[in-house]
Amino acid sequence: MENFEPEIVAFCCHYCAYTAADMAGSKRLSYPPNVKIIRVPCTGKVDAIHIMKALLKGADGVYVAGCLEGDCHFKNGNIRAAHRVAYVQKMLNDIGWDGERVEMITMSAGMGERFAQTAKEFTEKIRQLGPSPAKTAAGQAAVG
Amino acid sequence: MITAEQKPMQEIINCIAPYDRILLVGCNECVTVCSAGGRKEVGLLASALQLHFLKQGKTLDIKEVTLERQCDPEYVEELVNYMDQVDAVVSMACGCGVQTIAARYREKAVYPAVNTKFMGASERQGIWAERCQGCGDCVLGLTGGICPIARCSKRLMNGPCGGSTKGKCEISPDVDCAWQLIWDRMKALGIEKRYEEVMEAKDWRTSRDGGPRKIVREDLAS
Amino acid sequence: MEERNDIVNEPSAHPKVLVIGGGVGGIRAALDLAESRRNVVLIDKAYAIGGLMTQLDRTFPTNNCDLCTVSPDLSESGRQHRMELMPMTTLVDIQGEAGNFTVTLETAPRHIDVSKCTACGECVAKYPDWVRFTPGLDPRAPTCMRYPQATPFAFSVDMEKVEDIKALQAVCRAEAILSDDQPKTATVNIASVVLSVGAELFDPAVLDHFGGGQLANVVTGLQYERIMSASGPTAGELVRPSDGVRPKKVAWIQCVGSRGINRADVPYCSSVCCMYALKEAIVTKERFASDIEATIFYMDMRTCGKDYELYLNRAKNDYGVQLIRSRPHSIIEDPQTGNLSITYTTDEESRHLTEVFDMVVLSTGFRVQESTVELARRLGIELNIHLFAKTEAFSPVSTSKPGIYVCGVFESPKDIPETMVQASAAACMAGADLHMDLSDPQAEDDFPPERDVSGEPPKIGVFVCDCGFDIGGVIPVNEVVASVAKLSDVVVAESVGYGCSGDSMLRIEQMIREHGLNRVVIGGCSPRTHETRFQDLLRRVGLNKYLVDIVNLRDQDTWAHMDRPADAAKKAEKLLRMGITGVRKSRPLVDHTLPVNQNILVIGGGVTGMNAALQMAELGFKVYLIDRAPDLGGLARSVRSTIEGGDVSAYIADLVQKVRANDKIQVMTRTIIVDHSGMPGLFTTGVQSGPRMNYMQIQHGAAILATGAMPNRPKEYLLGENDGVMTQLDLDSVIADMPDQAKGWNQVVMIQCVGSREPGNPNCSRICCATAIKNALRLKALNADTQIYVLYRDMRTYGFSEDYYAEARQAGVKFIRYQLDDKPVVAETDGQLTVTALDPVLGRRIEIAADRVVLSTGLRADDETTEDLAMLFHVARTDDGYFLEDHVKLRPVDMALKGFFIAGTAHSPKNIKESITQALAAAGRAQALLAKTTINLGASIAKVDGNRCAACLVCVRACPFGVPFINADGYSEIDPAKCHGCGVCAADCPAKAIQLMTFEDDQILAKLDGLFERLN
Repeated sequence: MENFEPEIVAFCCHYCAYTAADMAGSKRLSYPPNVKIIRVPCTGKVDAIHIMKALLKGADGVYVAGCLEGDCHFKNGNIRAAHRVAYVQKMLNDIGWDGERVEMITMSAGMGERFAQTAKEFTEKIRQLGPSPAKTAAGQAAVG
Repeated sequence: MITAEQKPMQEIINCIAPYDRILLVGCNECVTVCSAGGRKEVGLLASALQLHFLKQGKTLDIKEVTLERQCDPEYVEELVNYMDQVDAVVSMACGCGVQTIAARYREKAVYPAVNTKFMGASERQGIWAERCQGCGDCVLGLTGGICPIARCSKRLMNGPCGGSTKGKCEISPDVDCAWQLIWDRMKALGIEKRYEEVMEAKDWRTSRDGGPRKIVREDLAS
Repeated sequence: MEERNDIVNEPSAHPKVLVIGGGVGGIRAALDLAESRRNVVLIDKAYAIGGLMTQLDRTFPTNNCDLCTVSPDLSESGRQHRMELMPMTTLVDIQGEAGNFTVTLETAPRHIDVSKCTACGECVAKYPDWVRFTPGLDPRAPTCMRYPQATPFAFSVDMEKVEDIKALQAVCRAEAILSDDQPKTATVNIASVVLSVGAELFDPAVLDHFGGGQLANVVTGLQYERIMSASGPTAGELVRPSDGVRPKKVAWIQCVGSRGINRADVPYCSSVCCMYALKEAIVTKERFASDIEATIFYMDMRTCGKDYELYLNRAKNDYGVQLIRSRPHSIIEDPQTGNLSITYTTDEESRHLTEVFDMVVLSTGFRVQESTVELARRLGIELNIHLFAKTEAFSPVSTSKPGIYVCGVFESPKDIPETMVQASAAACMAGADLHMDLSDPQAEDDFPPERDVSGEPPKIGVFVCDCGFDIGGVIPVNEVVASVAKLSDVVVAESVGYGCSGDSMLRIEQMIREHGLNRVVIGGCSPRTHETRFQDLLRRVGLNKYLVDIVNLRDQDTWAHMDRPADAAKKAEKLLRMGITGVRKSRPLVDHTLPVNQNILVIGGGVTGMNAALQMAELGFKVYLIDRAPDLGGLARSVRSTIEGGDVSAYIADLVQKVRANDKIQVMTRTIIVDHSGMPGLFTTGVQSGPRMNYMQIQHGAAILATGAMPNRPKEYLLGENDGVMTQLDLDSVIADMPDQAKGWNQVVMIQCVGSREPGNPNCSRICCATAIKNALRLKALNADTQIYVLYRDMRTYGFSEDYYAEARQAGVKFIRYQLDDKPVVAETDGQLTVTALDPVLGRRIEIAADRVVLSTGLRADDETTEDLAMLFHVARTDDGYFLEDHVKLRPVDMALKGFFIAGTAHSPKNIKESITQALAAAGRAQALLAKTTINLGASIAKVDGNRCAACLVCVRACPFGVPFINADGYSEIDPAKCHGCGVCAADCPAKAIQLMTFEDDQILAKLDGLFERLN
């Protein structure tokens, strides 16, 4: 599909990635506008269902951005989040989707550059993977 | 508690492939506690199935309901209003729940989404281990509180077999030898003499060998 | 906001603190005092508070719009109960002494009744000359306020210009114009004074070069700010004053009127101009056109603040700002085109170079106003030779008169973060003169009762800020508003200019009332900075504060995607949809509060930690002062003298004695921190102490991190290999302890920036230039014949330390500049040390035989310590290992983790005076927190639905803090006072029986619905 602009949901921890995103903005670091952030108090709050529902509702990719290992404001919420993301990845592979559409990323609040960089990389990865199978199939079904 | 774990995704998918409208039913008892079929797992499975079929170009209509307990007809009755809106039912409860639904709603196919595993206990978060096989004639009082039927691979009743090595079962170094555990426990309780007593051959009629079992409490049932 | 025009002579029984000057410093000081429950009177001679900062377009190093950053603070000051705001007011007289002054204040007539004025603008529209507004280039701004977020939110009539007061009164429908307003005098009983009167900027019109103010396209830095500013005379269009055309080449000339000896010059460095010129250059390229050529003519680039060197590198490398080390002599205007030619020389070129520019910006610095000198005379405080308030190195915010404290530029030239630090420090000192009962419960905020909206269908108001250019300059705000206006439940959708300005807030309040709104979406900047402000707005109109959602259009959309405006607009619409669908599901919630533990933990027993501890103890708080070293004193114990000649050793000894003697301070040396838990106001920190490493737990409400930095000792220039090579710190002790040895040296070479400002440690260590000068002067004092060579890259003797730089040059110290790519070479042959370097003036390499080579190695972060503590406390660090403050500009001592404060060199390299200032500031901020008897935990806590709960224990096991338990009724219970609000339990609960309030599942899913509406 040409001109494919992936729609990406980023669940961002208030204490790190969300702040890093603000910092990226204040430094005018450009990253793809495809990324839409949903703020959470900790990535430990991100339920596997939230990720699945995001895909179901039309996201082409979802990432969870939390604190660096050992930096979690709530001890280990980021580690739990990483496990959940891995669980979702496996589940996606099981249903014939690409687990790569979901990813866990870590950064600290000061890493505006990393926020912009990972947003770019993830968007690019999803662009390579192509539109969500939900969309293409629905589109074909509608056309066919 | 009864433990269960989700079936392989492909198996579930195959079961429901012919249908467009599914009722996915969870249970707020054992399968919630063992994270196999509670409200959360229902939500996850529903979205996974929807995603799968979306890729096939099919929008699967899934209704999610989690009952207080799927093995009681009264709770299962709550599903009645959904039945004319769905083509089939998928249950995330143990086999008891699946059958209770199947018994009540005879016109609908009911598929299990989980494999009911065993009666077990929770070792810690996320880990459950088998503890009871429901033999109908409990011997725990004789074995220091450790069940040789559920926990000895061979269900031996009078001490370990020759495969017991350093306290582990020969089937796997991760499995404790139940009889080692029983011996240690008896020693700790100072009742190791009892170990010498020979247990008679077990009467398996109280277990499955006597056919499907039933409990009747006359006082309550009347 | 309170404003009193009718104060009569009534000395109060409850003394207050008087803050003079309503710039950012004065506001910070007043807010700190009010927050720590002292009554404050804030006076300013202008008719609205805000000072100089409100005229700036953006501030370094974040390039934020200042109005947006400062306005929440300004209106916060409008709201504080303990604060009395008196604009157009001056101090006439002061009597008495510290703790019991009586001041006479005179308020000039405004001729407008502020309580009636609605700031409609009719008066200025009709009679623009009669009503006061924006100073600067061209005062014909569309509103008569100095800036859109003015506080108080009202006009002022310039009676001298009014020709017909009746005519003016006739246009005012609010009947707010007073024809016979008279000056009013008030006498107020006060305990102490904070002076934050700032300074004015040098007016280059008095110069006979650089056009002397006559050339149209030569502007000052401040005028350039006004031209770029969205609220400025050109409404944010960067154009030349002469012809309204956007310039293609802009030059900045540094040190205009500063660091000079000529007529009208001052000798000191104004400290801020290098950074603001860099900022203006970056913003010019970033916001207007990247192909505008920006050239800065400078003498030394003085980017010595925290991470400022990185900003300089960005300007050079990322934005292509040209930096030319040269001080041009004059600017010649082409009368036809208005273009300006500058002739200059560089080290590399032997010929004169001439270059033509479209505009030239003169980087002018600070001057003390005459009115300030007069005020100082009235107050009876001493001034230094430059007419700034005189302070001492060890008492950095105290004037010569007890009870009168100073902060901001009037103390010495400084930037906003330093002003904020000093303001908090001065407020802390001033507050100490006013006794406060710590156990006295505080008054409740005065908000109307909340309207019950539970039965109502959602009625949503959407208000989108244009934030000047920051949002409106990137996306068409009105179109975006229109696109979401038709969404279901949206009753009102409007663009509101600066949403955080007084008039916009009033407008939003009015809309909420008019339409009976029960949900509000604000499209603006980050909720991290502005959520509280809009929550307060809702509270004022009787709505629960959790019924508002802030959509981050600026930081996470228009700023980041300014290069793709069409995409940014699409994203803005989607983000707003998410906000709207999300807020629909928001619920009224009640905050939980807990009593505060009023003890403070101070970590680090150096100069900073000891000062913070003493100050907190002085204010009546119990202090735990811990240090891992066996003794107090820290790094300052190896410093002997300040540049002003102050005896550091004696000072430290005295400080240690005072700390040890204070019964409110428990000193624990040889102590390390091993664990930490709790929440702001209620922390528990486990320490191991003494030779046996005994474990104990400290309960405290706040903590100050004053762990310091380490002297850098890079393996360079034979340091550690040759005894003749030493650091400045080593030299300091040699001069103090073995002066005879130092006296015998014939030639000494000092090398600057050793291990700083280079890859690996890109930042400037700030203190080394002044230290080198200090030691050079001391060596010269010992033996005037000692030849001293200082090899430097930029001499960064900011502020008044420039005086010592001049003194050193006069004393014959030779300064030779070197480049990073051609560093000096230190060698030893037959026991003789030689230093070889390129002398750019001679244009050839010179070799100096040196008795001693002294390396200015500066400081580096104590990486291990800050890393350990950052892990334990979960606080952030900078890339180079210093602790990271919450906001580099406006909250320089607060950390993002509430209850934690930083001071001293753990924050960034700084000298003793600056460290003490920050120590006092941290103490001030900490006491503002601890003075509250209760702490608000917010509403973001996990809540269990007992009906759904399967008592499975998952939450009990998952909670990182062990809070949930299965209660007697057989379901999980979570104590709101203990819940930290992470939401792990809510995510893991297999029965979906737990919701984390404010982040409920249905709200998150609703946001997703909003984003993907087209698919549903």
